[in-house]
Formats: sequence, structure tokens, C-alpha cells
Amino acid sequence: MEDKTYLSIAYLGMILGLAIWTWTTISRSRKLELRIIAMEESLNIKQTEADSIAVVNENTTE
Amino acid sequence: MRVKSGDMCLIAGFSGLMLTLYLAFNWAPSVDINAFQSPEAQRIFYWHVPAAWAAFIAFGVLFVGSALWFFKRSPLGWKLHIAGSEAGLACGLMAVWSGCVWGAAEWGTPWDWEDFRLNTFGLLTLLALFLVLGRQSQPDGVESRDTFSTFGLYGFVLVPITYIATRIWVIRHPGPVIAGDENSSISGDMALVLMIGALSFTVLIIGHIMTSIEITKFEQRIDRLQKELDGE
Repeated sequence: MEDKTYLSIAYLGMILGLAIWTWTTISRSRKLELRIIAMEESLNIKQTEADSIAVVNENTTE
Repeated sequence: MRVKSGDMCLIAGFSGLMLTLYLAFNWAPSVDINAFQSPEAQRIFYWHVPAAWAAFIAFGVLFVGSALWFFKRSPLGWKLHIAGSEAGLACGLMAVWSGCVWGAAEWGTPWDWEDFRLNTFGLLTLLALFLVLGRQSQPDGVESRDTFSTFGLYGFVLVPITYIATRIWVIRHPGPVIAGDENSSISGDMALVLMIGALSFTVLIIGHIMTSIEITKFEQRIDRLQKELDGE
């Protein structure tokens, strides 16, 4: 193979890996955020209350 | 939806990496064609070295997180452990992949089992893989966290060994290009592109670590809300 073929394979692999890793992380974060909103809605927790509860919970459980 | 600081770091890191790539292909000087078997393939190192650098940062975060969890039972420590192992795996795989392709071009073989640095770095990446996969397959609890933290603590021993490996046992892997001896210096333009790459990878990995910490927080919050929904 030519030098440039090796160069392309290396960079394409890294770009693909980086893209998959970042996409997976961001989409996981968004999904969980939406799930939290849905759960809080079903518990009838307002957004302002939810944030304060989260802070209280973090302080007490962690 | 508001833009978070983690997302900002990811965008800045990506932009920097694209700039590095552009400069590596269009601006950085070529190496001496007599010094390498595959002079063009040498341009791989503009992402390979920063990826390895970012992996070392991630393993450092993993070590600190593991120690904080193991000795202090710190929840932040556990979040850092998770973030460090995930980032270490991703950057480690990128460095190993690009190194293998360069090895195939330059040495005629993607891996040399006798080279110390290749093997210790490969082991570090495998350790990160074990931690990521192991955590996903085990129920979360104090015992499992202790086990994984122990691996994170002991595994870190490989980091300084890997770092100094090419200074002590020069086999196939080239010596350090930065902070090495007088024979290891690289030209100003090449060093500048490499620095931009290292900075970009550092910003990117900070963004990933911040997002990963946030994900762990979300998961813990969901657990609490689920308990409330279940009436516990």
C-alpha cells in the first residue's frame, strides 16, 4: 500500500472512533435528561422544585 | 436546551482537532525522506501523540478517582473513575489504532511484541476496556466499586513505566519528541501543530469527562426518582 493510504486509514479510523464516542456520550446524556423530565412530570414535581430537590438529594445521599 | 460547559469544550476540542488535521496535511513540513521508510505516513503522529497524551490524562483521572473512592468513599471519586476509564479507553484505542497503522507502514508489522512501550500501553488500554465492560456487566455496589477501584489504582503503575519506557529500553518505538534528549527535537512548525493537537485533545477530553460526570449524576437521580415512583 502507498503511504497516503496508510495515512487515510489511520485518520479515518480515529475520526470514526471519535465521532462514535462523542455521539454515544451526548445522546446518552440527552436521553437521561429527557427521562428525568418525564419522571419528574409523573411525580408532579415542578422544574424549580426538581432542581432544589436534586441539590438536597445530592447533599444528603452523597 | 441550554448549552453546557461540557458541550462547549467538546465543540472547541473538535474544532481544534480539525485545525490540527488541516495544518498537518497542508502546512507542516515533510520529514527527511531518507530518515523514514514511509515519510508521508509520519503525519499520523499529529493525532497519535496527542491521543496518547490525552489517554495519560484520562488514566491520571482514573487513578485519582479510584483513590478518592477507595480511601474516602467519595461519590465524586467514583464519577471520576467512570469518566477516566471511558476516556482512557477511547483515547487509548485511538493511539493504538494509529500506532498499528503507522507500524504497518514504517516497520512492516503493526505490532512488535518485544517493544516495551507498545505492550505496556496496550495493557493500559486493555485495563480501561476491562473497567468499562466490567462495570456494565456488574450490579453497582460498594464491593464492585472497590474491586474496580483497586484495578484503577494498581493499573496506574503502568503509566510512568510506559512514559519512561522509550528512554530506557529503546527498541522500535521512537523516543520522546518533547522533553527528550538533544536528538529528539522536532522542527518549530511541526512542534506547533503537535502542540495545537495536544491542546485540542486535552480540551476534548475535559469536555468528555464533564459530560460523563453529568451522566453518572443523571443515572443516580433517575434511581432516586424511580424509588419515589415505586413508593419506597
